[in-house]
Amino acid sequence: MQFISFKVCKLSAKPEFIEAAKAGNVLARKCTKCDELHLATVYFCSKCGSKEFEDSILKGTGKVVTYTIMTVPPAGFEDLAPYAWVVMELGDYDLRISGFLANIQKPEDLPIGAAVKVIDFDDRGIVLEKL
Amino acid sequence: MEKVCVLGAGSTKYGKLEDSISDITVQASVDAIENAGIEPKEIQAGYISNVFGVADKQVHLGPVVMSNLGISECPSLSIESACGSGSVSFREAFANVAAGFYDAVLVTGTEKVTHTGTDWTTTYFSYCSDFFYEGQAGASFPGLFASMARAYLHEFDATEEDLASVAVKNHENGFLNPKAHFRKKITIDDVMNSAVVASPLKLYDCCPFSDGASSVILCNEKFAKEHSKDYVKVIGSGRGGSPAALQGREHLTTIPSTKIAAEAAFKMAGITSKNVDFAEVHDCFTVAEVVDTEDLGFFEKGTGATAARNGETKLNGSISINPSGGLKSKGHPIGATGVGQIVEVFEQLTGQSGERTVNDAKIGLTQNFGATGASCAVHIFQSV
Repeated sequence: MQFISFKVCKLSAKPEFIEAAKAGNVLARKCTKCDELHLATVYFCSKCGSKEFEDSILKGTGKVVTYTIMTVPPAGFEDLAPYAWVVMELGDYDLRISGFLANIQKPEDLPIGAAVKVIDFDDRGIVLEKL
Repeated sequence: MEKVCVLGAGSTKYGKLEDSISDITVQASVDAIENAGIEPKEIQAGYISNVFGVADKQVHLGPVVMSNLGISECPSLSIESACGSGSVSFREAFANVAAGFYDAVLVTGTEKVTHTGTDWTTTYFSYCSDFFYEGQAGASFPGLFASMARAYLHEFDATEEDLASVAVKNHENGFLNPKAHFRKKITIDDVMNSAVVASPLKLYDCCPFSDGASSVILCNEKFAKEHSKDYVKVIGSGRGGSPAALQGREHLTTIPSTKIAAEAAFKMAGITSKNVDFAEVHDCFTVAEVVDTEDLGFFEKGTGATAARNGETKLNGSISINPSGGLKSKGHPIGATGVGQIVEVFEQLTGQSGERTVNDAKIGLTQNFGATGASCAVHIFQSV
């Protein structure tokens, strides 16, 4: 885990989170009191209540925890179906993230445990890819 | 704390309705007032639960309802908590009557969306998710629950057919409910052969988009005794929360808010799940009912799907689950659903449920959640 700063994060980190995702990474916050790891969009630690965090950039690779293959999509996704929406666990961290994964036709294409990675963030939110 | 009672209940039919949202909201309210045998002027506050009033060009529904009831001076408010709006509204009304602020209040849940079409509803409902992580990335509600279903089927010894049996059972119950959206019996093959919406969930694993309104009159026990013999006591009330996004949950086969709400409600009631005769639970998707019945303590974790397949949750099975037909068959007008569950419990416990009556029922429970269970309320009721 690489720590890029030790500042106290006060305002929304969504722009930085999005920039990190575009580079294939996940911006996380590690609680300086209890070490609990969170996605960078939280303001207080869910374990100890502290708001003192260290930013950390995690590599956006991991394994599929669960997913669905969307065949009746919401607006904006009509031309993309079928696609998967995936919950993944990041590497060896106790941290999960979810996102869009294109071109998945059937369950055999994406077994639970399959290796996936964050590749982008655009109007489809966090975009994932099979490794 | 005052003892709180449900004095009357009313509901429109659920389904595709022609009338406007304000009209159906007033209709259900009038039904509840007449069923309770009270005058509108005895109502001291109105609690209206609704999510997408904007779809039928009417938000701020409270004053419209109150004005049509001839009590425009009566205070009211609207409450939105996604698909859990109805039970949250009921809870706020309960708290205010219990605290002694009001003797009698109106709680009406309502929704009118079917005229907007499936595309609109699928998209707008996805705004109830943690949108940055879920809706924005293409996850619809069927998709989110399908992800829970896949986790459940992966983790436990259960099959898609087991999940389908929940839909079959709820359609059997809804067949007996004159106000249900679908009054049609289905088979496991019908579910398995229906179109895939978000794998592994198929169309018949999913509840419909419905219009409808449901209403109850809530009051303190003194008021109830003065007005009617047919009332039901609210003996437990609990609420809880879960991480808004599925990715924030340690397990995807349980809904934390249900457990928190149930624990609080059981504690207040001084009973356990074993004392409950029947329950109306939030079966927006077949997998949800399975998870609910486990989280509420009716079945061990991982065994709910098999229990459903074995008929334990049928009408007058070991525990009757969703005798109304549930969201799946009775329908799911999202702002009304939580109140509609309480209407069903009231009717069951006061001998007004006809062919779908749970035999010798004394204690009924409702569990209603918002989104993927990010918020939940559980209530427990006892006949007098």
